[in-house]
Amino acid sequence: MNLKTPFPDPVFARRDAFDKLRGRTRYTVDEACQGHLQAYLLRADVASGEILRLDVSAARKMPGVRAVVTASDAPHRFGIGVADQRLFATGRVRYKGEPLAAIAADTLEQAKAAALAVDVVIRPLPAVFDMAGALASGAPLVHPDWATHEVLLETRGAGRGGNLAWESQVRRGDVDAAFSRPDVTIVESAFRVGRQIHMQLEPRAAIASYADGRLHLIASTQAPWTVKNVTARALGLSPARVRVTAPAVGGGFGAKYGCTIEPYAAALALACGKSVALVPSRAEEMLSCPCRENADILIRSAVTRDGRIAGREAVVLMDCGAYGGEQIYLTTMTAHTLGSSYRLEAVRLVSRAVYTNTAPNGAFRACNGVYNIFALESHTDEICQAIGMDPVEFRRRNVLGDGDLGSTGQVFQGDVLGPMLEKMSQMRSKGATLPSDDGRLYGRATTVGTWFVFVGPSAATVNLNPDGSATLVTAGVEIGQGTMMQSLPQIVAAELGLSPCDVVVHQADTDAAGFDVGVGGGRTTVSLGAAAVAACTEIRQKLLALAARLLQAPASELSLSQGRIDRVGHPGTGMTLASLAQEAMQITGPISGSGAFTRPGVAAMDGCAAGHFLEAVDIPVFAVHDCDVAVDPATGQVEVLRYRVVQDVGRALNPSAIHGQIQGGVVQGLGYALHEEVTLAEDGAFRQAGFGSYRIPLAQDVVPVEIELHEGAPSIGPWGAKGAGEVPILNVGAAIACAVSRAIGVRVQELPLTPPHVLALLQGRKPALQLHHPQDWPARPGTNPPHSTAAVSVAG
Amino acid sequence: MIGQLWINGEWCRHDADPAAPLHRVLRENLGLTGSKDVCGEGFCGACLVQLDGAPIAACLVPVALAEGAQIVTIEGLDQDPVAQSLMAAMEAEDAVQCGMCFPGMVMTLTHLLKTCPTTDREKVKRALAGNICRCTGYERIVSAACRAAKDLVAADAQKVVA
Repeated sequence: MNLKTPFPDPVFARRDAFDKLRGRTRYTVDEACQGHLQAYLLRADVASGEILRLDVSAARKMPGVRAVVTASDAPHRFGIGVADQRLFATGRVRYKGEPLAAIAADTLEQAKAAALAVDVVIRPLPAVFDMAGALASGAPLVHPDWATHEVLLETRGAGRGGNLAWESQVRRGDVDAAFSRPDVTIVESAFRVGRQIHMQLEPRAAIASYADGRLHLIASTQAPWTVKNVTARALGLSPARVRVTAPAVGGGFGAKYGCTIEPYAAALALACGKSVALVPSRAEEMLSCPCRENADILIRSAVTRDGRIAGREAVVLMDCGAYGGEQIYLTTMTAHTLGSSYRLEAVRLVSRAVYTNTAPNGAFRACNGVYNIFALESHTDEICQAIGMDPVEFRRRNVLGDGDLGSTGQVFQGDVLGPMLEKMSQMRSKGATLPSDDGRLYGRATTVGTWFVFVGPSAATVNLNPDGSATLVTAGVEIGQGTMMQSLPQIVAAELGLSPCDVVVHQADTDAAGFDVGVGGGRTTVSLGAAAVAACTEIRQKLLALAARLLQAPASELSLSQGRIDRVGHPGTGMTLASLAQEAMQITGPISGSGAFTRPGVAAMDGCAAGHFLEAVDIPVFAVHDCDVAVDPATGQVEVLRYRVVQDVGRALNPSAIHGQIQGGVVQGLGYALHEEVTLAEDGAFRQAGFGSYRIPLAQDVVPVEIELHEGAPSIGPWGAKGAGEVPILNVGAAIACAVSRAIGVRVQELPLTPPHVLALLQGRKPALQLHHPQDWPARPGTNPPHSTAAVSVAG
Repeated sequence: MIGQLWINGEWCRHDADPAAPLHRVLRENLGLTGSKDVCGEGFCGACLVQLDGAPIAACLVPVALAEGAQIVTIEGLDQDPVAQSLMAAMEAEDAVQCGMCFPGMVMTLTHLLKTCPTTDREKVKRALAGNICRCTGYERIVSAACRAAKDLVAADAQKVVA
């Protein structure tokens, strides 16, 4: 798309703000609280054990109880890369909090009382709570039957075995030779991060009803089609018998990208024929939250004196918890986050998802990227220190440019990060000098990061209505990001020459809209937008053909603009779209269009990637972040003084909306970097159970982010757009860690940088991080994991 | 047992347990779902209502203790000129994202604008210590409160002139 063609309406306010401010918007939790049976999940109170007895007969007789379902009601396995999970613990408990039974009663209190009447006996088994323990020789297996699990996604050369849920590898060039060169400095770094909890204000929630042989789920979800398909699989139904609708969602950030609680409500509704609402309490939501995974990262590089990266290798361990879920898929991302941003002459990466007896992790905004960019950028600063080069200069020399190869050998197009770094220096040079004489320690850092749009299949239908308005039908969900309120109606309006006000956006309904992967991965504007453009193209063709006939002019001389169709250069000579749409009633019938989109499939280099679900990225997205911090040496308190972002957006369809995403995403990243901390108790459960113990940013913690949008980078997105909501959190941990490290003159290896953590660093009380996988060097696939790793070649 | 509450200028009867938290009675018994049930522990501010003029976390108030008080929920602030000005400023600043925290934000900030008409960013941020937003990063909410303060001062000045 030529950026010279102006996008018609870049200023377009969101239409849901008025009602949301007044409390009128009906979220799933608002529908759930009246007129439905209430569901409660009985959860295991041990992390690992054998279920000796689970007798629900007394619970069924408790007052108000309408249905009790257990493992036998949902025996089918599901998962993302590997079908390793069932709805209920079956024979064996794998994490504390794993559901054992679901109960529906007239009130929530009755359902909870019935849960206490379930007779459960579980014999504790040895458990493993950290990845070191899980990968140690002789560790108890979370899934002793791992070899029998069905592999659901085809890849070449993945590794699996024992507590290793999945292993993917990247190899390009001769890494061993690079590390043996006499002219290189070898820098090795280790990093560790904990989990991050979404803390979206609306908990996950679902209401299930069963009528005319079909299930209807109203769900607070980011991915209606995933809910439909997983629910059907878990309950052994045909997906055609499950309908999912999604009202406004009160925040997701990835917590609602998978199908987690919906099938329980569905199973209960099937059992009793009544509508059943399941809304976890905040404490339940937290203990079962599909968190951003904790991770251990070991990375080393061979760098020449003039700052070229001759070789790089890394091992990334990602904790998937008791079931593989997203993390199996996310091993793929390491190639495109940790393995990206910089030109590498040779590279070898191993990315492992590891089973532990903890709650399953999931997706969270810029999955895998946030900690890998923290590791990569901190490592980059350590390289600069080792070779004595200015960190910004090192980045200028090494960032990916036009024609450079990514880790899997894909060819990047356009110089993007270089010019963005230049914009950042200009932005910095305009800033006022900060006072720095108050006894605090000051530091600043500029970091780069690479993310991508997770494209994937989307469908859209557009109806041109007889009044000249248009209706867009997709399975996209408004989770707060604004896509369904702003960019999508804007795109349809631009394509059809309408005002965005005249575009109605249908709420997600799998009975009305075609397949969609879901709202996540920065894909909504791009994938649903591209599908909508395709649908509008069909409408345009129909309109132009009809108008050519009615106006007696060749279609090539007609244009759609401002709700009219006119001869090019002769406004007012034609007719309104409304009158054309009405004419169509008599001639062709109502006008509609359908469109589809999927990933175009950018090529990787053959043989570079094994075990990957995405070998190359279709739309890379780049970000440059810069921050100034002050550290109080007496308390270890970090204050963020200024924060700047230059973000690659391709084309800004709605700059105000993007700025809003950047401010919000950066602040979420500040929480991750500075004070959001999940710790495990001795029994493997999270110690944090609410907003009191899990500290997310408050108004007084934040600064206004200074923002520049970088337009013009290549993108196949509609009107040249890229996803803008996911990436703002990407570099934040990195920027804060690098700035704090410079302020205090001590290496930062772990997040979050809480005051006690920073104080320990300042006082030299924090021992250097010892990761448990040094035997992985060199990072050869399949050499380390115990339990006879099987290198499986699923695709044959 | 039937309880009776004075909410948004009218009597509302309910049969909830007297110890039930007020926000659940509002939502589950009276259909007033504008106050949100987010943490249930008084941390997040999503369930704020006015009790005799001051914003208070409804999740911390047993419903029986709210009897006899004048309760105003977000639904009842619709006609309040200060709240209207604030909500218009929120729209003008493009502050809203998922929206779950906003009824509580409007409760807190309407009270601030009434009790401290010459507010500034620091005062607004301090006032928001008990309101959590996970989407927006707060700054636009703060800008909207400051904008509303200016608008209200200007409107008052006009009234004086008139």
